[in-house]
Amino acid sequence: MPLNNRLFVGLAGGLAAVAAVVVIFSRILPVNPSTVGFFFLLVVLATATAGGFAAACVASIAATLSYNYFFLPPIGQFTIAEPENWVALFTFLLTSLTASHLSGRARKEADEARRSQEATERLYALSRAILLTDAARPIGPQAAQSIAQIFDLPAVVIFDGKSNSTYRGGPLEIDDVDGRLHEIVRLGARHQDPSQDLDIWPIALGGKPIGALALRGMTGSDGAVQSILNLVAIALERVRTEEAASKAEAARQSEEFKSTLLDAIAHEFKTPLTSIKAAATGLRVLNTALPEDQSELVSIIEEETDHLNQLVTEAAKMSEIDAGKVKLKRALTEVQEVIAATKGGFSDDRVRIAPPAAALPQIWVDADLIVLALRQLVDNALKYSGADTPITCRAENAGNRVVIRVIDQGPGIPEHDRERIFEKFFRRPGVRNRVPGSGLGLHIAREIARMHEGDLWVEPGAAGGSEFCLALPTGLSCE
Amino acid sequence: MSDGRILVVDDEPQIRRVLRTTLSAQGYEIFDAKSGEEALEAMRRQRFDLILLDMNMPGMGGLEVCRQIRATSEVAIIMLTVRDSEQDKVAALDAGADDYVTKPFGILELLARIRAALRRLPVPQGTADETVELDGFHINLATRRVVTKDKEIRLTPKEFDLLRYLMGNPNVAIPHAKLLQAVWGPDYGDQVEYLRVFINQLRKKIEPEPSHPRYLLTEPWVGYRFVPAS
Repeated sequence: MPLNNRLFVGLAGGLAAVAAVVVIFSRILPVNPSTVGFFFLLVVLATATAGGFAAACVASIAATLSYNYFFLPPIGQFTIAEPENWVALFTFLLTSLTASHLSGRARKEADEARRSQEATERLYALSRAILLTDAARPIGPQAAQSIAQIFDLPAVVIFDGKSNSTYRGGPLEIDDVDGRLHEIVRLGARHQDPSQDLDIWPIALGGKPIGALALRGMTGSDGAVQSILNLVAIALERVRTEEAASKAEAARQSEEFKSTLLDAIAHEFKTPLTSIKAAATGLRVLNTALPEDQSELVSIIEEETDHLNQLVTEAAKMSEIDAGKVKLKRALTEVQEVIAATKGGFSDDRVRIAPPAAALPQIWVDADLIVLALRQLVDNALKYSGADTPITCRAENAGNRVVIRVIDQGPGIPEHDRERIFEKFFRRPGVRNRVPGSGLGLHIAREIARMHEGDLWVEPGAAGGSEFCLALPTGLSCE
Repeated sequence: MSDGRILVVDDEPQIRRVLRTTLSAQGYEIFDAKSGEEALEAMRRQRFDLILLDMNMPGMGGLEVCRQIRATSEVAIIMLTVRDSEQDKVAALDAGADDYVTKPFGILELLARIRAALRRLPVPQGTADETVELDGFHINLATRRVVTKDKEIRLTPKEFDLLRYLMGNPNVAIPHAKLLQAVWGPDYGDQVEYLRVFINQLRKKIEPEPSHPRYLLTEPWVGYRFVPAS
């Protein structure tokens, strides 16, 4: 029952009861004044219990006046003849006020206990509702509806700052709320609007505002609202964590699938390659005296089979590196050996090795992988630069690193793309249709560099073109 | 009389075709099987000197076939694999293969491996009837038999050759490369993992406590050493 209503009923009941006592004991059933006093006291106590302290005060003053007027001699006047009756009257007033105060307080405490129990029950219901939300549907609207339903509110709006979306619950709308919700998240402070009976609170997690909650017609304590805010914060964050986890899982599965697929394709290619290679080399075994031209043709078949096999093996290797499945087999290696092995893989005579300015320390690397990375860089340089411009590989000492530079004289790379070219599957718009490629090579090369605690980046060349710089740890840095 | 009877086990018909053509021309007698099951069936009916066994076959995989063959036979086995990883190589040797070749391979390389697998260490003069006693083991160098108290222990030819070579040079640490070249052939030397696997298998067969070997000792970074019973 609302407070005002109760006060009114208690007051009316108390005054009516005072009047009834007056009528009964002055007209119908005359008794001595002490008995009447006790009855008045009972009425005041009953009023305090039903209507609270304020109603009881009014009732006790009315009772005191009535007691004086109707029952203490001289009857029919507000004066008192006997001094002991003054004492009786004031004792009555004091007793009734004290009693009604105590009774009112007990009443209030009981009310508070009931309210806090109710609030606890509602919060419990809300936490259950939020925990048991249907995972298939978005949690925001479900939480807003649960709050409106459980706390019996006409309108609830939750604003999720991270996803920038609002969720509504309850039968009514709140005017012009979205802008204010944004503002609350920014300020991180509560806002009240009595004209709409509206209360907007920031939702914070770990001290940082992550959203806001607008409640219309909320009567619960601030503590209860704080609990609601915490529940909503946890619900929003939980969804985000779950989403991130499932996204990561999906990405992992897709990576794994791609990597498995590539592995399978590599094996499918290797079977026919095995037959071709065995057949070509078999020719030589069967006839050790092949005429020179036929022997040359057999050589071409063999070389190209090896080439194709190398491409397939590299593709499978790259998918493994990309999937993070490769373990480094490190050894101290001469830089020039790695560069020479890389050059050896190209028949193109544009690839040149520049001698280092000074003696270089050995590098602490998985040589096969570094050759694979360098091959991507050289291959890239060949593809993107002119048919008669050289590609130069040069190594230099840089503290506890050795930097291998692959220098081309191609068109160069605009500054805004110099980082993006290392992104997976990124291909520059202008070259996408002109030059064949997968958009994987540079990405893998950088992965390889970083697996070695090294790095790969691109700088504009001194004479135009680009310089790809592969920095690798030396043997000294591993000790 | 052929140079040897070889069973080619591969599910790929083209590979069987190529191997049949090229290896037959080299004087080997070639038989083939499309699957592991078919190979085991052929093994029951005939005797072979060597089996070329593909590792990745549908149905019973190469490794399982190898284990089953090893359970009853000491025939030389070369595993053919597409994967060039350490794990795969060790898995092949662990299953009992004497050697493996990575696809795609050149025929010359395969022929060298076949010769190495079929190769047996010649028995030195004067030891023809010699039996070596080793704490309850009788090792007959001529008949290639190892007998313990009541049962015969089966060693594959390569295991036997490795053991005999080590026993022929007691108390000396023999480097990896030297052992490999003596037992497998001159083309070998870097395949330290072969030795690791074969020594482990030998230890399981002849050591009383394989994890604490008494006869076949590892010389870290060098090789292996045979210590006869005192």
